[in-house]
Amino acid sequence: MLPKEIKDRLEAEIRHVEHPRELAVDVMFAVQEHYGYLSDAALAEAAALLGMTPLELDELATFYTFTFREPVGKYVIHVCDSVVCWMNGYASVRDYLCRRLSIGMGETTADGLFTLLPVCCIGYCDRSPAMLVNRRVHGELTPEKIDGILAKLRREAESGAERPKVQGVDAITG
Amino acid sequence: MPKLTIDDREIEVAGGTKVIEAAARLGIMIPRFCYHPALGSVGACRVCAVKVLEGPVKGVQMSCMLDAADGMQVSTTDREAVEFRRYVIEWLMMNHPHDCPVCDEGGHCLLQDMTVSGGHGIRRFPGKKRTYPDQDLGPLVQHEMNRCIHCYRCTRFYQQFCGYRDLGALSIGNRTYFGRVASGRLESPFSGNLSDICPTGVFTDKPSRYFGRRWDYQRTPTICINCSLGCHAVTSVRYRQVARQEARMSAAVNGWFLCDRGRYGFFYASLPGRPRQAAVKGETTTMDEAIAHARSRLETLPPDAIAVNGSARSSLEVLAMTERAARLKGWRGPAFFADAGAAHNVKTAIARLEEGLAVSLGEIGQADFILVVGADPINEAPMLALALRQAVQKGAGILVLDPRPVCLPFGFMHVPTAPEALGAVLGRLVKKSIGPAGLDGPAARFYASLPDEPATGQEVLARAAGLLAASRRPVIVCGTGIVASALVGLAADAALLLTAAQKKAGLFYILPEANSFASGLLAPPESTTDRILKAVVDGDVKALVFVENDPFATSPDRELLERALAKVELLVVLDYLDTPVSRRAHVFLPTQTLYESGGIFINQEGRAQYSAAAFAGGAPILETGGSDHPPRVYGTGLPGADPQPAGQIMAQLAGEPMASEIGARPEYFGGSTVSELAELPDVEAFPEEGQRLSPKNLPADRFKSVLPPSSAAESDELEIILTERTFGSEDLSSYSACLETREDEPLAGLHRRDAESLGIREGDGIAIRTGNTTLEFAVRVYDNMASGVMVVPRLQRLPWQGLGKRVRRQDIRKA
Ligand code: SF4
Ligand code: SF4
Ligand code: FES
Ligand code: FES
Repeated sequence: MLPKEIKDRLEAEIRHVEHPRELAVDVMFAVQEHYGYLSDAALAEAAALLGMTPLELDELATFYTFTFREPVGKYVIHVCDSVVCWMNGYASVRDYLCRRLSIGMGETTADGLFTLLPVCCIGYCDRSPAMLVNRRVHGELTPEKIDGILAKLRREAESGAERPKVQGVDAITG
Repeated sequence: MPKLTIDDREIEVAGGTKVIEAAARLGIMIPRFCYHPALGSVGACRVCAVKVLEGPVKGVQMSCMLDAADGMQVSTTDREAVEFRRYVIEWLMMNHPHDCPVCDEGGHCLLQDMTVSGGHGIRRFPGKKRTYPDQDLGPLVQHEMNRCIHCYRCTRFYQQFCGYRDLGALSIGNRTYFGRVASGRLESPFSGNLSDICPTGVFTDKPSRYFGRRWDYQRTPTICINCSLGCHAVTSVRYRQVARQEARMSAAVNGWFLCDRGRYGFFYASLPGRPRQAAVKGETTTMDEAIAHARSRLETLPPDAIAVNGSARSSLEVLAMTERAARLKGWRGPAFFADAGAAHNVKTAIARLEEGLAVSLGEIGQADFILVVGADPINEAPMLALALRQAVQKGAGILVLDPRPVCLPFGFMHVPTAPEALGAVLGRLVKKSIGPAGLDGPAARFYASLPDEPATGQEVLARAAGLLAASRRPVIVCGTGIVASALVGLAADAALLLTAAQKKAGLFYILPEANSFASGLLAPPESTTDRILKAVVDGDVKALVFVENDPFATSPDRELLERALAKVELLVVLDYLDTPVSRRAHVFLPTQTLYESGGIFINQEGRAQYSAAAFAGGAPILETGGSDHPPRVYGTGLPGADPQPAGQIMAQLAGEPMASEIGARPEYFGGSTVSELAELPDVEAFPEEGQRLSPKNLPADRFKSVLPPSSAAESDELEIILTERTFGSEDLSSYSACLETREDEPLAGLHRRDAESLGIREGDGIAIRTGNTTLEFAVRVYDNMASGVMVVPRLQRLPWQGLGKRVRRQDIRKA
């Protein structure tokens, strides 16, 4: 069950729009933010808030890249898998990440820190190859740069820093 | 009217016609997957490519998206178009598992046809195929997702056409998945259509899985008799077993689809326990001997000590012969209705359904405002709900006046109204929506007799009145199940009044059963089963004949029935079902189902339709062979083929010349009291869409309805409304095991106010004491139903017969 504050806030927001459906993505993000991913129960809860059926919401949840229907790691790495990155070394970036994390695409490390997923063009073509970590973008990737990013994230996790927000456009900065 | 040329042949079509349809009119079947006449065009699959040689946009175009235009020249055989289609097929087949040998769609698969006709034979793509997990969607529809070509027909049908919300398109791109969030029974009562509409083997018919290929089946055009609408179906029989039913297109009735009650309502016909042998006092014997025995016993009795009961699940032939036999012999009856109320409602509906007012199910979709009175479409006539939804999609408003918590797959206005107040609310609404101007004579007098607006004007009613006022083609849909017959007449007068107010108004009744219309035409006015049973108890009737009628399912007074059966000296039962009364029969005579005899059914709008015999009868080979090879017995007859058409048995019981062959109408209808029947065409020449019967003369009671005074006083009683459910109420479909999981829980519905005053909460159990029985229900509390009533589902497995019509509040206890 969602905590009362979150539920009240979402209900208030939903009351303000003409078609609750408009807020489907926002509500899914808020619920995901709370649970870490959209479990079947979380999906049903979000759907109930919106007056949609779980299926109707799941049609959207499974359509979008940033809604997760399975548990993900603390850091979700989306490797850009589109044309310009393909030309500029996507395959080696992907392989390097897989090797360093000892997981395949679509998998999560045993320590629960990292999940690797492909994503289509993230608009960073001029600084490709690129990837997102919890929706923060990193470009001009090289093995060294990737090592640096992973090491920093590991330190951050050890120090017990708050789970970085995955929500909101402000998180996406250079 | 644009005139265009397709493959050098000219055709003129109505404006807005798509090229794919224009070609179909010329007999050119352009390949298609996503296009479906009922669902329209989306241009998703790209397989309907043609080349436009001359026209607004030249080149390869999708014919399902392209409006036919004047002077257009289209080629379906142009090399570029043919090649385009070949490539489309090739990539649609890229992930296909090539499992036709084990796919139930094989043999009638559009994808198979297109692959072959598109010339794609050799797989070139060496990569891996995408695969999906399948889901268990319940007992009716099988799911095999790997065969999907992403045409989106299923989800468009399920969500947009029908309005159900538990199956759809999940995920994205190449992974797009058609199914539910998780395995589980499909919620839509129209789910079986997925098997028809999916052009591949993703959705196939589950009950008949692996039973045969299309070409193995004897396929016959039939009429559904699981409710009064009479939808068109195709019945498939193999090994003397009715195995599958599919929808058959009918513009006038059901369009392209069927409901699940109708599609899967046939299992009674091939049930292992179906009685196929005549029996006298429980001992099986030949038909001839049993008939002779019954006849000699009947002859010892004075004619009016013999009473005949039939039912509306019989064909017109059976009803007519039953009526004729009773009339000629002077027997009582036949009673085709349980009581006077039921008979009166149906007879009123028939009398009031005049030519100018009656609309067909197909025409409902064209209405711009629909007033539903005393009817629960999804439960009483499922396909009506789909027709209403099509009207809503085109912008029609719908107002439901009904005491029950009516639930429909679209947005509608509902004013929960107590049964006795329905007439007043209907009258007020119609009065408010039209003015007195332009009315004269009886119409003006009727208008003046209607009540004026109430002091407390309900907002919903005001809105509905506004929509009705603005409408041009309104339709009144009126039920005959839970209402008084005065309302049935009032609905007709209301429609007449709307006509007098210059609207093209329509009238649509729902009748209780498949052949209620014919029963109403033929039933002598004063004969009803309850009267006959009373006459047995009083000692006036000594012999009862039940023709395809199970009084345990139809008679509302179980106690009276038991007393009559205990007293009756001779009980003759003719039926194809194994019923409580057939088991108690002194003489049992097995009859043929509609699938064996064929027959005419008259639907609720008076449309007489012929359902052809689907096979010659006999017990299924699976049964005679005990699931193994059929026994090697030599003989000329079919095993288990003793059953005869009930009409022929009645003729023999009456000592009348037997109708020599099915469809020899004169023998059935010749002396009929109903003149319209004599004008029915020969069954061989029966029109596809049937023939509408309507009264010869205008009804005498036009504009004569009088509103019953409604008593608003709080009563210490609750009125019991026994209500039909989509699944579990109707007689024949309740023999289908695959529909059992679709049945509702036997919940009693109460309005919140009544529940509170009784101290009952949602989910509580209650015990109702009536007479000498106590019935228990779980309670469901509603805000959207009338107060002062209790809604109880009339399920076959529920002993609703004990409930009576009213219950005192003090007799309701928490269990
Ligand atoms: S399941 Fe059938 S109807 Fe649905 S998209 Fe796939 S092929 Fe089309
Ligand atoms: S709506 Fe009635 S007639 Fe039509 S398929 Fe369903 S049960 Fe049969
Ligand atoms: S292709 Fe990778 S960012 Fe555009
Ligand atoms: S039928 Fe025209 S695009 Fe599918």
